[in-house]
Amino acid sequence: MLFQRLFSAGWLVACLVFAYLAWSYQAAFSYEPVGPRAFPLLMLGLMAAALLWLTLRPTHIEHKEGEPVLDRESLRKVMACVVLMLVYAGLFEPLGFIVSSTVVGMLMGRLYGGRWKPSAIAAVLISIGLYVLFDRTLDVPLPLGVLDFLEL
Amino acid sequence: MDTLGYLGQGFGVALTPYNLITALIGTLIGTVVGLLPGLGPINGVALLIPVAFALGLPPESALILLAAVYLGCEYGGRISSILLNIPGEASTVMTTLDGYPMARQGMAGVALSLSAWSSFIGAFIAICGMVLFAPLLAKWAIAFGPAEYFVLMVFAIVALGGMAGDRPMKTFIAALLGLFLSTIGIDANSGVYRFTFDSIHVADGIQFVVLVLGLFSVSEMLLLLEKTHHGHVAVKATGRMLFNVKEAASVFVVNLRCGLMGFVLGVLPGAGATLASAVAYMTEKKIAGEKGNFGKGDMRGLAAPETAIGAAACGAMVPMLTLGVPGSGTTAVMIGALTLYNITPGPMLFQEQPDIVWGLIASLFIANFMLVILNIPMIRLFTRILNVPNWVLVPVIAIITSIGVYAVHATTFDLFLMVIIGIFGYILRKLDFPLSPLLLGFILGGLMEQNLRRALSISNGELGILWGSPITMGVWVLVVVMLALPIVRIWRRRAKQRREVANA
Repeated sequence: MLFQRLFSAGWLVACLVFAYLAWSYQAAFSYEPVGPRAFPLLMLGLMAAALLWLTLRPTHIEHKEGEPVLDRESLRKVMACVVLMLVYAGLFEPLGFIVSSTVVGMLMGRLYGGRWKPSAIAAVLISIGLYVLFDRTLDVPLPLGVLDFLEL
Repeated sequence: MDTLGYLGQGFGVALTPYNLITALIGTLIGTVVGLLPGLGPINGVALLIPVAFALGLPPESALILLAAVYLGCEYGGRISSILLNIPGEASTVMTTLDGYPMARQGMAGVALSLSAWSSFIGAFIAICGMVLFAPLLAKWAIAFGPAEYFVLMVFAIVALGGMAGDRPMKTFIAALLGLFLSTIGIDANSGVYRFTFDSIHVADGIQFVVLVLGLFSVSEMLLLLEKTHHGHVAVKATGRMLFNVKEAASVFVVNLRCGLMGFVLGVLPGAGATLASAVAYMTEKKIAGEKGNFGKGDMRGLAAPETAIGAAACGAMVPMLTLGVPGSGTTAVMIGALTLYNITPGPMLFQEQPDIVWGLIASLFIANFMLVILNIPMIRLFTRILNVPNWVLVPVIAIITSIGVYAVHATTFDLFLMVIIGIFGYILRKLDFPLSPLLLGFILGGLMEQNLRRALSISNGELGILWGSPITMGVWVLVVVMLALPIVRIWRRRAKQRREVANA
C-alpha cells in the first residue's frame, strides 16, 4: 500500500516535470491552430489527475492464487536479473553476440535454478544455435565482437 | 456477391505454396511460443516483426505469418492450460476450469482436440461474420473525417476502462501513459523535438518493438524468477487423441452460441478474448443448470470458452482492418507491423489493397484448419516442450528478445531502453496495472493526435467540430456509457455489500 502511494506520487512528480518541459514546446512558425504541446499536455494533465486520485486512495491489490509473496530473497534475485540484463546490453556489441550470450546465459541459468555444468553447456549451445539461426538463415545481422577474427 | 469474388481472390493469394508454407511455419512457431510460459501472442508477434522484415517477406506474406502466429499462440496457450492447469494468459483461465479435470480423467487428448475443434468453429463463425460485415463497415467508415476518427479512438480507450472490471482507474492511467509515450520524438507537423533530452536515439520516438518486448518479455522473465521453486508436472496425454462424432455433436449448439457471442465481443474495442471466454463460460454454466458437470470436466465447459476465444481473436481483426483502430493488445502489435510496411489499415485498405485484406482473411481460415490437423500428430512433441526447465527457457527468452530489439536499429541503446521499460513494466504488473491498454495507447497515440490536429485545422480551431456531426454525437454517447459502466458497477457492488451486512 505504502509502496503504491510512493510509486504513484513519484509518477505524479514525473508527470509535472514533463508538463513543465512540454510548456516550452512551440512551433517556430505555425500554420495550424493546435501546436505540438497541446496533446502531450492534455495527456499529462489527465494522467496527473488520475494519479493524484490513486495517491490519495490507493486501490487494494488482490494476490492471485498461488502467487508467492515477494520476499527479500526474490527481490535480490530480481535485482540480480536486472543487473545481468544491463550487463548483457553493455557487452552485446563489444564482446559480440556469441560470447556475451554465453556468459550471460550461463549466469542466468544459475539464477533460475540450474547447476553450473548444465547451465554452461546449455548457454553455449543456445548462443551458437541462435547465432546460426538468426544471422545465417534469417538475415538478422548480429555483432561478432571478439570473434571477429574467425571470419565466419 | 462482390464479397465472394474477393474472398476467392483472397484464397488465391493464401493458397500459393509460398504463403501456405508461411502459414504452416507461423502456426508451428506460434504454438511453441504460446506453449512456453512467459511468452504469449503479443511477444510472439512482436518478435517476428523484425525477422519478417529482415527476410524481406512481401507485405501479404508477412501479415499471413503474423496472423498464423497469433492463432498458433492462442492454441499453444490452451495446451498448458489443459495439461498443466497453468493458463498461459488471462483469456485461457476459463479453459483450465474444465480442461484440466478432463485431462486428469485420462481424456487429455480428447480435451485438446475438442478444444481445437471448438476454437476452429468459433473462428469459422467469426470469419463468416467478418466476410459479411467488414466490407459494410469499411464502406461506412469512408465517410469518417478526422473528427470522427478522433472520437472513435477516444471511445476505444474509454471502452478499455469500461470493460476492465475492477480497476478502471489503473486502466486509464496505463492507457494515458501509452498515449503520452507516443508523443516522444520529433513532431511531424512542426519539427519540434519533444521529450528527447537531445538524444538522437529517441529522435524518431520509442520503437514499438522495444516497448512491447520490454513490457511483456522482460517483465515476464522477472515474474518467472519468483516461481523457480515450484514445479508442475504435466498430465501425460495418452489414449484416444481425437474426439468422436458423438462428443462433437453434444457440444455443437454450445459452439454456435458461444461463437456468435465471441464474435460480437471481439469486435467491441477493449473487450476481447478474456471477457468473451468468461461470459461464454458463465452463460453456458447457467444454461446447463443443475444437470451440468461444470468445473469437474464437462465438455461444454471446455468448448464454451474455447469457441469464444477463437471467435473473439478473429473478431478483433474487424475493427483493426476496417477502421485502423485495434481492439486488443495483439491487434495493436499487428497495426504496428503494418505501419512498418507503410500500410495504413483503415477503410481505404479494402479498396486499395484487397489482396492483403482478403488474403489475410483467407489465411485465417487456412491457419485454423492447420491447427486442427497439427494437433493429432504433434501433441506428444508439444507436451515434451512443456517439460523444458526454466534455466534453459529463460536464457533463450532473454537472448531472443534481445535479438529482436537489436534487429530494429542495431544499437545497444535500444537494449538498455528495453531493460528499463521492462523494470517499469514489472513494477506496474506488481501493482496490478494492466499492460495492454498501455500498448494500445502507444499505438493509437500518434493517430489520435494527428486526427485531432487535422480536425481542428479544418475548423480553424473551433472545438465544435468534435461533436458536430451525428456520428461523433453517437460515439460521444457511447463514451459516456462506457465511463458510467465502472461507476455503476462499483455502486451496485456497494449496494450488495450493504444488503449483505443488513441481512447478517
